[in-house]
Amino acid sequence: MTDRRRNLFILLAVLGLLLASAVVIAQKKMRLGLDLRGGVELVYQGKPTPQVPQVTQEALDRAIDIIRERVDGLGVAESEIQRSGRDQISVSLPDVTNASRAQQQVGKVAQLFFYDWEINVIGPEGRPDPSNRQVTDVPLPTFFDAVQRAAKRAPQADGDNTTNFQWFLFGKDRKLLAGPEEGTSAERPPAELFSELAGRRRPPGSQVLKIAPGTVVVKAERPDKFPKNQPYERFFVLDDDPELSGTDIKNPEQNFDQGPGGTGGAIVTFDFSKKGRQQFQKVTRRVAQRGQQQADPGRLPQDNFQHFAAVLDNEVVTRPFISYTENPDGIDGRGGAQISGGFTITSAQDLARLLKTGALPIKLELISQSQVSATLGKQALDQGLLAGIAGFAVVMLFLLLFYRVLGLIASAALAVYAVYFFAIIKLIPITLTLPGIAGLILTVGVAADANIVIFERVKEEIRAGRSIPSGIAAGYKKGLSAIIDANVVTIMVAFILFVLATSGVKGFAFVLGIGTLVSLFTAVLATSAILGTLSRSPLLVRPSALGAGPQKRRWSVDFMGASKWFFSMSGVILLIGALAIGGNGLNFGIDFESGTRITTGLQRPADEDQVRSVMEAAGFDDAKIQRIDDPELGRNVFQISTSTLQPDQVTKVRSGLDQRFGVGNNFSNSSIGPTFGQTVARSALIAIIASLIVIGAYMALRFEWKYAVPVLIALMHDILITGGVYSLTGREVTTSTVAALLTILGFSLYDTIIVFDRIRENVPRMPRAAFSQIVNRSMAEVLTRSLATSFCTGLPVLGLMLFGGETLKDFAFALLVGTASGTYSSIFIAAPVLTYWKEREETWRQRLEGVQRRSGGRVPAYPTATRGGEPIDVDPEAEADRRRLHRPGALAPDQPDEVSAEEFEEMVRDIAPEVEPAPKPQPAAPKRPRETARTGASRSTGAVRARPAEEKPDGRGEAQAALGRSEEEDSGGEVASAPDATAEEVDASAPKQQRAKPKRQPAKRHGRRR
Amino acid sequence: MGMLAWVMMGLAIWHFTIFLPDREWGGIVGAFLGAVIGAALFGLAVNALSIPGQDDTTILTALEAIPGALIGIAVTYAEGIRRES
Repeated sequence: MTDRRRNLFILLAVLGLLLASAVVIAQKKMRLGLDLRGGVELVYQGKPTPQVPQVTQEALDRAIDIIRERVDGLGVAESEIQRSGRDQISVSLPDVTNASRAQQQVGKVAQLFFYDWEINVIGPEGRPDPSNRQVTDVPLPTFFDAVQRAAKRAPQADGDNTTNFQWFLFGKDRKLLAGPEEGTSAERPPAELFSELAGRRRPPGSQVLKIAPGTVVVKAERPDKFPKNQPYERFFVLDDDPELSGTDIKNPEQNFDQGPGGTGGAIVTFDFSKKGRQQFQKVTRRVAQRGQQQADPGRLPQDNFQHFAAVLDNEVVTRPFISYTENPDGIDGRGGAQISGGFTITSAQDLARLLKTGALPIKLELISQSQVSATLGKQALDQGLLAGIAGFAVVMLFLLLFYRVLGLIASAALAVYAVYFFAIIKLIPITLTLPGIAGLILTVGVAADANIVIFERVKEEIRAGRSIPSGIAAGYKKGLSAIIDANVVTIMVAFILFVLATSGVKGFAFVLGIGTLVSLFTAVLATSAILGTLSRSPLLVRPSALGAGPQKRRWSVDFMGASKWFFSMSGVILLIGALAIGGNGLNFGIDFESGTRITTGLQRPADEDQVRSVMEAAGFDDAKIQRIDDPELGRNVFQISTSTLQPDQVTKVRSGLDQRFGVGNNFSNSSIGPTFGQTVARSALIAIIASLIVIGAYMALRFEWKYAVPVLIALMHDILITGGVYSLTGREVTTSTVAALLTILGFSLYDTIIVFDRIRENVPRMPRAAFSQIVNRSMAEVLTRSLATSFCTGLPVLGLMLFGGETLKDFAFALLVGTASGTYSSIFIAAPVLTYWKEREETWRQRLEGVQRRSGGRVPAYPTATRGGEPIDVDPEAEADRRRLHRPGALAPDQPDEVSAEEFEEMVRDIAPEVEPAPKPQPAAPKRPRETARTGASRSTGAVRARPAEEKPDGRGEAQAALGRSEEEDSGGEVASAPDATAEEVDASAPKQQRAKPKRQPAKRHGRRR
Repeated sequence: MGMLAWVMMGLAIWHFTIFLPDREWGGIVGAFLGAVIGAALFGLAVNALSIPGQDDTTILTALEAIPGALIGIAVTYAEGIRRES
C-alpha cells in the first residue's frame, strides 16, 4: 500500500469512527458516579462465620447477589455492587439520601434463628435455669455484665454453633471499646480488636473478654411500654442451640395483625418449609409440654407459659409464649407464623425483604461509608467540566502558538480524541467520577505531549536538511519510540493503580489508561495521516509553516558542569523537607487515618461554637469544626471532622444540625473505618513500590540496567520532594494525592525517556566524546522538547487547579509539584547520575582521559574539534541547519531511511568531525538498510554505503562506520587527525588500550573538575 | 513516618557527595545506597529497632539520620579506596 493510500485509509477510518462516536454520544446516556450526582457508597469487608470459615470468592459472589436483590428491593436505579480487593464489597447507591436505612438493608447479615427460650437462657451459674424467672425474664442491665457472664462458659461443641470465639475489649469504665471480633484462636485475640486504638495499644485498666463458641449474647426486645424516645439496652446470654433458622422459612411478607385480638399493627408473616414445619411443631410441642409440667396451681396459666424466641442478628425480635391450654400438642406450622414486635410498616417491609433474600453467607463489616448530596455532586460536575474545558483550551492555544500549522493539526487531533473518548465513556459505559474527570483532563496533556515530541523531531529533521515530506516521515519514525516508551509506562502505572486502588482512584486509573491508548491513535496515527496528506500541499511549502525556521537560539549550558549546584539545591530542598516531615509530619486525611467528615451548608447563621455545641449534645465531644468558603453551598458552610461514626450516628448529627440551623439537602459525609484506612495505606505503599519496580524493569529492558538506576533515584527524589512540600504546606494527603503521585512517576519518566533516548542515539554518533559531553549535547538538543512537554502537561493541571473545586485542587497541587520536580530531576538528577556512573566504566574513563589529555587537562562542555587552530563546537545539526535552511526545495525522498546523494555527501561532511577516518570506505551492509541513515549511507543511490553504526558504548562500531573525516585536527575527542593524537591513541575502542588497564587516577566528578 | 524522615535525610545528604572525589565503592550510586541504608539503619539502632510513628516523629528523628548517612557514605568511600589500592 502506498503512503498516500495508507493515509487516505487512516483518514477515512478516523472519519468513520467520528461518525460512530457521534451516534453513540447522541444515543447513550452518561453514567455519573456518586460524587457527581449524589448518593450513598458503602464499603463492606467480609468476615468468616463458623458456617463459612473462610471468606471465599464464592461466598463474596453469593453475598453480592443477595445484596443486589436487596438493593433492587429498595428501588434504587443504576446501583453498582462490586467486589473490591480480596474480601471487600463496594455498594454505590445513587440518589439515596438515607444512609442509615441503606446500610441496614444492604449489609445486615439477616441471620434469623429460633430458640426454645427458657432452656437456653444462661443464669449466673453459667448454665440454664428454666424455672428461674429472674433468669429467663429479666435481662442483664449492661452489655459488660452479659459478656462477663457468657465468658465464664466453656466451649460447647454441639455442632450448630453460630459463632466462633468472640473477643471484646472493655475500658476501665466497663464501656465497650472494641469488638466483637471473631477469631478461631482460643488463646490470642485477633489483631483487629486493637486496630481502632491509638497506637494499637490497650489502654491501661482495660480488659479483654472472650466468649467461647456455644454461647451468644443477644439484645433483649424493647418492652411495649418502654418510652420510645429512650434507648433500650438490655441483654440475655443464651446457649447457642437454635431450633430453626432463616433457611427453614419461606414467603415472608409484611402484613397487619388483624386476627382475633390483633392490634392492627404491622407484622411479618411467613410460611415454613416442609422441614421447618415439622421442626416448628416439634419445638412448640416441647415448649408447651414443659409449661404444662411446670404449671403451678397457685398461679395463672399464662404465668407458666414457656417461650419461643426469634432472634435476628443477635437481637431478639419477638418472644411469644406457647399456650399449653390452646396448643398442647404444639403449633402446626402449616398455617405459618408471624413476627410482631413494635414494627412500623417500613421496618416490617424491610425485615420481610431481608428474610426473603436470605441471610448473607458471611458477616459484612461496614468499613467505609460516604454520602454526597446532589447539590455537591452537581457542583463537582460543573467544576470538573469547567476545568476540563479550560485545560483543553489552553493546551490547544499553546499548540497553535508554538507549532502553527502543526499545532492546528494537533488541535484537530485533540478534538477528535475528545469526541472518541466521550463516546467510549458512554459506550462501555465508564462511570464518570471526579477523579475520572481529572484523569480525562490529564490525558489531554498526554495526547499533546506525544504531538510535541513528534513535532520537535520533525522540526529537527527539517532543520537538519530534510525535505518537508521526508522530515515529517522521519520525525514520526524517530519520535515514536520515546512516545511508546513513555505511554507504556503510563499505562502500566494506570494498571497498577486500577488493581490496587480504592474505587474513586480506580476510575481515575481506568480513564488514564484508556485515554492514553486512545491518544496514541489520535496523536500519532491520525496526525501522521493528516500531515502526510498535507506534506506536499502549498500549506507546507516553507519550513517556517511548521515552526522549523532558523533556530535563533540553541541551548549551550554546561549542564554537567552545573550539576553540582543543582544537586546542592535538591539536597537543601530535601533537607528542609526531611526536617518538615520530622517537625510537622504529614497531614493524612481520613482515607488513611479513619474518621468521619461531614460537609454541610446551614440555612441559618451559625458559628463554630454553636455547631460544636450540637456535636457535644449528640455525644461527640472530639469533633473539629471548621468554617469553609463555598458560595455554592451557601454562606454558612461547615466541615466537621470526628472519629468514625456509624450511619445512625451520622443521622443523629444531621437531625441535630437540622433542628438548630436547618440543613436541607446540603449534607454530605464520609466515614472511613480503621480497617479501610489501613487497607488504603497498604495499597498505596504497594502501588508505589510496584510502580517503581515496573518502571525500573522496563527501563532496564528498553535501555540497559544502568539507565534504570538513575531513573529510580530521580523518581524517589520526586516522590520525597512532593512529600516534603506537602509537609511544609500542611496540605492533606488523601488517596487522590497518592494517585497523583503515581501519575507523576509516569510523567516524570516522560522527560527522562526523552533525554535518555537522545543520549542513546548520540552515543554512536560521537565515538570520541566523553559521556558528559554526549549528555550535554543530548540535553541541549532535547531541552526545549522536554520543557514543552512539561509545560503542556502543566497547562491542564493548572486548569484543574484554578477551576476544579476543592477535591481536584488537591489533586492538581500534587501533580503540579510533581511535574515541576519531575522535569527538574530528569534533567538535573537522572542525567548527571547516569553520567557519573557510566564514566566509571573503563571505556568511558579512557575516553575522558583522552579528552582531558587533548584539552590540556580540562573537559570542554561539548564535543569540540579544531579548525584553523581554533576550537570549534561540534554540532552536526547546527552545521546542517546553517547550510541548508536557505536552500530552497531540498530534494529528498519521502522515506526517512533514505537520503539523496547530495544530502548524503553533506551528512558525511557533517559527521566528519565526530568520527575517525576509516581505512577505506566500507561496502554497505546489505541486510541492515534501516540503520544506514544514521551513518549517512544512501539506499536510494546505492553508490556509497556505510557499515551500520552499532550502539555500543565503546564506540567501536561507530568508528568503523566512518566514511569521511574532517580536514581539521582533534582537540575534543571526536577528530583524530592531530599528530599528537593518533586515531589509535584516542580511539577509546582500541583493543590494546582496553586491555592495558591503566592504574586509576583519583577520580573527580565533573562538577568539581570544571 | 520516622522511616520517611530518615530516608529523606539520607537522600538529602547524598546530594552533597557530588563534591567528593568519585572514589566510593559503586560510585555515586554506591554513595546513594550507603547514605540511605546508613540513615535507615542508624535511625533503627537509635530507636531500639522500632520505627517512630506519625505522632512520635520529631525534628530530632530526622536529625538522627545524619550520622547514619555520613557513616554509610564513609563506608562506601573507604571500601572504594581499599579496592583501588
